Amino acid sequence: MLQVLANGLALGAAYALVALGFVLVVNAASAVNFAQGDLVMAGGFAAVALGRLWPVPGIVLLPAVLAIMAVLGLLLSAIAYFPLRGRPATAVFVSTIAVGLMLENAANAIFGAEPQAGPPLFPGAVIALGPVSLSRQALAVIVTAAVLITAQELLFARTRLGQRLRATAQDREMAAAIGINVTWMIALSFALAAALGGAAGLLLANSFFVTPTDGTNYMLKAYIAVVIGGWGSIPGAVAGALLIAVFEVVYPSLPLLVPALPASWLFSETTATIILYIVVLAVLLLRPRGLFGEAALRRA
Amino acid sequence: MKMEFARGLRAPLTAAAGGLAIWPFVFSGAYDLRLFTLAGIYVLLVLGYQFIFGHSGALSLTQGAFFGLGAYATAILAVHAGWSFPETLVLSVAVSTALAAVIAVPVLRLESHYFALATLGIAQVLLLVCREWVPLTGGVNGISGVPGFALLGHAIPNGVPSLILVWSLVIIAAVLAWRIQGGIYGLGFHVVRAAPAAAGAIGLDGGRFRLVAFLLSAAYAGAAGALFVRVNRIVSPDVLEFPLMVTCLAMTVIGGATRIAGAFAGAVLLVYLPEWFRPLDKYYLIAYGAGLLAMIVVAPDGLIGAAARLRQRIAPEADTPPEPARLPRPANTITASLVFRDVAKSFGGVRALQGVSFELRRGEILGLIGPNGSGKTTLVNIATGLEARDGGAVLYGNRLLTRLPPFAIARLGIARTFQNVCLAGEMSALDNVAVARSLDGDVDLETARSQAMYLLETLGVGGVAMMRALDLPHGVQRRIEIARALALQPDILLLDEPAAGLNEREQADLASRIRTLRTLGLGILLIEHNMPFLAGLADRLVCLHEGRVIAQGSPGGVRQDPQVIAAYLGLPQRAPG
Repeated sequence: MLQVLANGLALGAAYALVALGFVLVVNAASAVNFAQGDLVMAGGFAAVALGRLWPVPGIVLLPAVLAIMAVLGLLLSAIAYFPLRGRPATAVFVSTIAVGLMLENAANAIFGAEPQAGPPLFPGAVIALGPVSLSRQALAVIVTAAVLITAQELLFARTRLGQRLRATAQDREMAAAIGINVTWMIALSFALAAALGGAAGLLLANSFFVTPTDGTNYMLKAYIAVVIGGWGSIPGAVAGALLIAVFEVVYPSLPLLVPALPASWLFSETTATIILYIVVLAVLLLRPRGLFGEAALRRA
Repeated sequence: MKMEFARGLRAPLTAAAGGLAIWPFVFSGAYDLRLFTLAGIYVLLVLGYQFIFGHSGALSLTQGAFFGLGAYATAILAVHAGWSFPETLVLSVAVSTALAAVIAVPVLRLESHYFALATLGIAQVLLLVCREWVPLTGGVNGISGVPGFALLGHAIPNGVPSLILVWSLVIIAAVLAWRIQGGIYGLGFHVVRAAPAAAGAIGLDGGRFRLVAFLLSAAYAGAAGALFVRVNRIVSPDVLEFPLMVTCLAMTVIGGATRIAGAFAGAVLLVYLPEWFRPLDKYYLIAYGAGLLAMIVVAPDGLIGAAARLRQRIAPEADTPPEPARLPRPANTITASLVFRDVAKSFGGVRALQGVSFELRRGEILGLIGPNGSGKTTLVNIATGLEARDGGAVLYGNRLLTRLPPFAIARLGIARTFQNVCLAGEMSALDNVAVARSLDGDVDLETARSQAMYLLETLGVGGVAMMRALDLPHGVQRRIEIARALALQPDILLLDEPAAGLNEREQADLASRIRTLRTLGLGILLIEHNMPFLAGLADRLVCLHEGRVIAQGSPGGVRQDPQVIAAYLGLPQRAPG
């Protein structure tokens, strides 16, 4: 049970990074970044490639992956967001879908369609915690993600740069009026989003492998997490991501945990995903503004 | 839109259509014929997608799922129940449209970012169900052995016969789409998308437009799916996957999201590009993504839109305005007043309006004055259904207006203009007015345009009829809005600062025009700051201050009222008795 929960939390921690990146762009740019999932995939492949060049534990590669992805995020904003400022919201949806397509097929051209495993975060497989043994990788993922989320939180709460980023997210016009370089702040938000997504890619690349077509799935999970957590809410996005992942991992294991339940298609992973979508659709049907309301300010 | 569709491009488009028609007979290998048939099927899919994505401006991500559903419906019934081609075609259209109808109610009211997710979620559920429900769908292997086309018991072989059948259906569908989008209804789509508030003010039900667009998009996709399976002879979950949806989106964006010719250009191009760029091999799809990105940035209205603009730049072609035509005199039956009773409204803690009561009678001009922020525009917004009131009522005859949506209020004969002008900027001044004639059931686009021309001329702006609204100065735009309001042939007219931006001669023109409307029996509410303009015009004045009526009566009396003077000069006032 504990192992299942730890796996769920590890997956959730990675999802949380993806959702965090997604919501940062929602707030700063009022835009949905459809390429967020493909950035995760790109981060995973960056880890695979770096790991081949330099066979060290993943944790050592993390700073390099963060840096590469931040640059990719800046690029993304430069080609797919800034040229479309002031256009209908659908324009950025389409442009980021296009970038996602490019990333996916670039990965396919370079690495091939086969799943690849990234380097483990730390060497060694299992850790003994009293009577239970947990996968070291799962724990490492949880800890690393928690550190990154805390770092983001500290950046926003404690630094001048974070203040400016928050001001931009709250009200771009007001931020511009008090002398904040809004364009730069939006670009930085894209960079942060890509770095967090890429970090998730690195964390997931060992246990879950990475394939070029992974992007859509991660993007959807982040999107759903942000809708469940309240559009624009940062803690909500993290909570939503954890909720989704724990459900995804625990639900198919229910027959193992509760012997009374039959092991049938009712408890397959696919069924879990279908239930997840139906729940989200129901949430949107009953509460068209998300489960916990919207945190993002409405701009007319 | 008829004019936009072919303006200045008639010759090249005709040539391109001719080229397309000859193409399959020149490159008539079996593979090429099949490819060309598939291109036709994609044209059908994209024509449908244009309704919801192009004309309604909503990023629906279920178009691929409607296509896949149509494909599976045909495959299942053709293989398991032996249904004929016409039967399965009808059924596929029906199944996809039915799904659209079921999901439309909850989904269409969502805002864009939720709408995209909800539609994508529905598509994903369909995909997963289709993969898992092996007995019905064959799971990941899909269903094979679907018979090809047959009509009246005669099999239609692959190659040219199938191609002609598919493309005939495509052309029928294109003509149908053109008829729907080309008329006054097409202008309505444009206004609903570009200026939703204006759409409501001229009686267009935006929700209905979106619903119709969504159902049409599903119907076209269902038909495309049905044809696809008959050509392919096999169906697998691929048809429900996201890449197909992205292909459809790319075709629509690249060709042009609101133009019939765009659907042809986008679909044919994207079907053939991979063939032409075979040397690029696996890098083709990267280039394809880059192309999509470049299009959305550089040419948001697609190849056909870009071609039309280029053509217009090289050899500008001025449209000739239509001959003006008077509007038929409406049958005036209602003679009710517009009554505000105890209207109250708060924004957060701020009381924008409280206890506002007065009456706008027919055949009078009532001036509504008050300092900035006194609640004048809010009052008009409440009367026209744009904002909900917190207390009190607005009555028109025996109708309670405060529960009606804007379009229903407009249909009762209450028209308005906006303080911040609200026009569909890309549309011509003429069409902005003509579209407001669409409520009159027997008006076709040509008549509507002639009548709009007449209205523009009476307001002295006939000279700019064919120009884009957004290129015109503010004062002109205001008069276009008045013309648009008059196109409704209203009984009650609410004008929000109509004289702003007009010079004195224009103001005098406007004043005499408004007087004429009074003699026709209209009740006119004028929000104005311009006292000299108002003084010669209004029969009565109502003065609002901090959300209350502080004075009403004859213009002379109200202007001399000490409270009114104090309010305008910002002096401390006595507590209103």
